[in-house]
Amino acid sequence: MFPAMTAVVLLYALPLVRSLASAFHGDDGLTVAHVVRAFTLYGRDVAFSIGVSLGALVLIAIASIAIAGYLTLGATRWAVRVLRWLYRWPLFIPFVVAGQLSRSFLSTNGMMNTVLIETGLLSAQSAQSFLDWRGLILTFAWKQIPFVTLLLAGAMAAVEPSHSEAARNLGAGRLRALFHIVLPQAAPTLWVGLILSLVAMLSVLSVPMMLIAGNPTMMTSMMAHRITYYGDYGVANALGLFSYALTAVTAWVYLRLTLARETQR
Amino acid sequence: MNALSLSEVTVDLGPRRILERINLVVTPGSFTCLLGPSGCGKTTLLRAIAGFTPLSSGDIRLGERSITELPPEKRHTAMVFQSYALWPHMNVGDNLAYPLKLRGIPKDERTQRVATMLERLALGGFEHRSVTQLSGGQRQRIALGRALIIDPPLLLLDEPLSNLDASIRRSLRGELRQLQKSLGLTTVMVTHDQEEALQMADQIVLMREGHIVQVAPPASLYQQPADLEAARFLGVDNTVACSPQDPSALAGAKTLGFRTREARVDVAPSVNALVRRGQVTECVYTGDGYQIGVTANDQTLFATARTPVEAGRFVTLQVPESALIPFGPDHRYMPSLNAQEHTA
Repeated sequence: MFPAMTAVVLLYALPLVRSLASAFHGDDGLTVAHVVRAFTLYGRDVAFSIGVSLGALVLIAIASIAIAGYLTLGATRWAVRVLRWLYRWPLFIPFVVAGQLSRSFLSTNGMMNTVLIETGLLSAQSAQSFLDWRGLILTFAWKQIPFVTLLLAGAMAAVEPSHSEAARNLGAGRLRALFHIVLPQAAPTLWVGLILSLVAMLSVLSVPMMLIAGNPTMMTSMMAHRITYYGDYGVANALGLFSYALTAVTAWVYLRLTLARETQR
Repeated sequence: MNALSLSEVTVDLGPRRILERINLVVTPGSFTCLLGPSGCGKTTLLRAIAGFTPLSSGDIRLGERSITELPPEKRHTAMVFQSYALWPHMNVGDNLAYPLKLRGIPKDERTQRVATMLERLALGGFEHRSVTQLSGGQRQRIALGRALIIDPPLLLLDEPLSNLDASIRRSLRGELRQLQKSLGLTTVMVTHDQEEALQMADQIVLMREGHIVQVAPPASLYQQPADLEAARFLGVDNTVACSPQDPSALAGAKTLGFRTREARVDVAPSVNALVRRGQVTECVYTGDGYQIGVTANDQTLFATARTPVEAGRFVTLQVPESALIPFGPDHRYMPSLNAQEHTA
C-alpha cells in the first residue's frame, strides 16, 4: 500500500497542487492577480470553451443514446450487427488525425461542401467554411460519440431484457421502452461517459489549434500560447483552474443527481 | 368462441426447430398450464403468444383477431415474467401505474386504480415503497398486479412461482387460482412443476421436444398419460412387464406402470391386484411412512409401508387394479377393458 500511495502523491497529487498553487502565487506572495488577468484577457475563450463543450456534450448524448438504444432494442439483426461493427472506428483515431480529417471535410472547398454542391443541395456561392465553433463541436462529438456509446451500450445490455419486454408487453413501443425503462437504468453510466468526454475535450490542444485560426478559441490553445510565448505559468495555471472548476461542477451535479436517487429509494 | 387459438405454430431459432406445428385451443376464463421438462419449448410458446418470438409459420388468434403479425405492444396480452421484471427506478405505485399511463388514463384515476389493486393484493399503502425493498412474494404480487391492472384479455404467466420458498409458493398457488377464477381471466401458465399444474389448471398441455404430447384435464392426464415417457414425467416411477396372472382387464397390455405411493407391502392379499413377491433391499423414512425397495424378478420396485420393514425379508407387493396404468407394445397408453366397456 505504501509504495502505491507514494507514487500517487508524488506523480499526481503534488504536481496538481503545485500547479494550483502557482495560479495564486506571484512575486510578492499570495495573489489573485493571475486569475483576474486570465479572466480579463481570456474571459471570452473561457465562455467559448464552455459553449463548445456543452454543444458537443448535447450532440454526444443524443447520438450515443440513439446508437446504444438501437444496439439494445433494434429489431433488424443485420443492421444491429453492422452498426456494432461500424460505430467503434473513431475510437482508434487520435485527436490530431481527427482534427486533420475535419479540416479536409469541413473547409470551404472540403468534402462536405463538394458533395452538397454536386448533389445540387447547395449552390457554390453559398458554400462556407465550418472551421469555427461548429467544426469544433462536430469534431469533438465525432471523436467522443463511440466512447460514450461503448459505455452506454454496455450499461444498457446489463439491464435485464425482461425489463423492456415487460414494458412492451404492457403497451410501450420500442422508443418508450428505451426512454422510460432502459435509459433511466443506464443513465449513471451516460453521465460518467459525458464527464470523461468533457475532461477529454478540455484537454485537447491539437483540434482547436488545427481548426481555429483566430479568437476566441478553446482554453487549451490559450494556455499553450501563454506558456510558449510568454513563459507565463501563473496565468496558464489560472486558466487550468477554470478547467478543473468546470469538470468539478459537472461531477458535483452528477453526484447530487445519483445521491438524490439513492435517497429516494 | 375461443379465447386463444394456435394453429400449426412453428418456431425456428437459426437451424434448430424449437416448436413444431403446435395446435391448441384455450376457452374463455380457463386456466391452461404448459407443462414439460426444461428445453421442451413451453417458454418459447408463451413468448410466441406474447410476441417476443417470431413464428416461422402458423397463426395465433386472440378471439377472432389474428395477432401473429402484431408487435408485442399491440397484442394486449399481459405477461408476468419469471424474474418479475419490476422496474427498480420506479416505486411500487409507479410500476403499477405505468401501463395505465401508457393508455392515457388521467392521474387521479391512475392513483385510484393503483390503490384499489394494492388493496386487492393485500399490499394496501405500498405505493411509495421501493420495489427493491419487497420480499419475493410481495414482488410476485406486484408483478401480477401490474399485469392485471389493464384488465387483459389474456394473462400469461412464465413460471411465476418458481423463485419462491415452498410454503409461500403453496399459499400463492391458491391465491392466484382464486383471483383468476373471480376475475374470469383466461390464463396460460408455464411450469415444470407437475404438482403445480395438477393443482391449478383446468387443462394441462404436456410438451416434449417442441411437440404437444397430450392436452387433458389434470385428472385424466394423471390417470391416463399418453405414453410411458409422459407417465414417468408425471411420477409413475415403477414399470413391470405384464404377465398372465395380472388383472384380466389389463389383458393385451405390454407394460404396467404405477406410482410408489399406490403400491403396498403390508396389506392383506386381494383379487384384482397386481402382485409381485420379492426381497426387501432398502427401507427409507419419508415422513408420512416408509419407502420400501423390493427386488422381484431381478427388477427393483418401490412401494410404501406404514411401519419399517427389515432389509432381506420377503414381502408381497400389491397394487390395486385401479392404480395400474397399462401401456401397449408401442409404449402408448392403452385403455383398459373396463374403461372401454365404460365408454362403450
